[in-house]
Amino acid sequence: MSDPDPTEPPSDDMLAAELVLGVLDSEQRSHLQARVDADRTFADRVAYWERRFAPWLSDIEPVEPPARTWTRICQRLGWKESEPGFSGLRGSLAFWRTAAVFSAVIAVVAIWVALQHPPPSQPIAGAQNPPGMARQAVTALWHDDGSPAWLVSIAPSHGTLLVVPVPTRPDSQGRAPQLWVIPPGKAPQWVASVSSDMSETVTVPSQVRASLVAGAVLAVSLEPAGAASEAPTGPIVAKGSI
Amino acid sequence: MLDAGTTSRSVGQGTPLEALLSQVALGNREAFEALYRGTSGQLFGICLRVLAERSEAEDALQDVFTAVWRKAAQFDATRASATAWLAMIARNKAIDRLRSLPARKVRTDLELAQELEDPGASPPQQAQTASERVQLERCLDQLEPRRRALIRAAFFEGCTYEELATRLESPLGSIKSWIRRSLLQLRECLGP
Repeated sequence: MSDPDPTEPPSDDMLAAELVLGVLDSEQRSHLQARVDADRTFADRVAYWERRFAPWLSDIEPVEPPARTWTRICQRLGWKESEPGFSGLRGSLAFWRTAAVFSAVIAVVAIWVALQHPPPSQPIAGAQNPPGMARQAVTALWHDDGSPAWLVSIAPSHGTLLVVPVPTRPDSQGRAPQLWVIPPGKAPQWVASVSSDMSETVTVPSQVRASLVAGAVLAVSLEPAGAASEAPTGPIVAKGSI
Repeated sequence: MLDAGTTSRSVGQGTPLEALLSQVALGNREAFEALYRGTSGQLFGICLRVLAERSEAEDALQDVFTAVWRKAAQFDATRASATAWLAMIARNKAIDRLRSLPARKVRTDLELAQELEDPGASPPQQAQTASERVQLERCLDQLEPRRRALIRAAFFEGCTYEELATRLESPLGSIKSWIRRSLLQLRECLGP
């Protein structure tokens, strides 16, 4: 094979290879990166080379970035770090536990959504969100130590919640977990009694449904059996914002 | 109104990382933080490999995760694994930043020369038997040692053709045609 003539314009596959190898200057890079977003065939070529060279990247030793990097990412995205969920999942064990839980719970939620909303037998042309396919928010509730506790999927049109716990042992004092919603600046409202080891669909009291909106906080407290449901009296064991 | 960006319609399948990415695509910040905790070390390592200057690598890592937050919906598990997709974003952001730096911050000729003198350099994780790795190394082994080293240096240093030509004191045209020929050979060996 003779060496390619460097004055010949390269093929798309060669351009993709050069982009991934990293030998192009910034002007060529930004031109080709724009093409990746617009041209599916070219994007496939780039994906091919990325996949081929990816093993080299996994050889690079990980280096823990300084804590300020996360703070700055939050700032760039316009987030306040004090928001719930930013207590920090320290260490890889917490990460993998969380990731595995997300993975498993998402599967459960997917099955539930599919059962609730069987797909229409005829495809509906042009309809992105056909009737009966209401979008459903998933809220994660976290323990104070940053480990996940419950996932709650809200079905706004039905006034029901799917509540999936990360299984824990029952409370040693026999108290039962109770789910509350705390609208911004308001007192907690009782939503339902929930399980600490079984997923279940619970009905939301009609007067509370309007409170299940973005920005409200879902919290679980441990309450003695037979306690009144006006306000939580026991400890809050998990919370998360919708 | 419930957040319309959050839906369980397009749930992720497969690995935990892919499931997390699909949650990030839906605007789930807890999933995003979990993703950061789990992958920022690897991605920072990649940024540092391209950008020797630590503060630049930190800025690049911020570019990476803001891009991941915004582009998570574009992740396509049929094209790449989540790990490879994230790693390539890190490398791209690091190279974009490298290109915007004054030339003096680029690595020295000496380091590049040393790298080129070590054509037998092999990846540190020999034991890893992933088929894509085996195939990549097998195909690289078919290149002339010096060209194999050039491809590795180009990839890991993020050098442009012009920089490689200057450092190796070779004509730009020769560098281009060596690399292009190597890429053609790799393409042939790696297959579709």
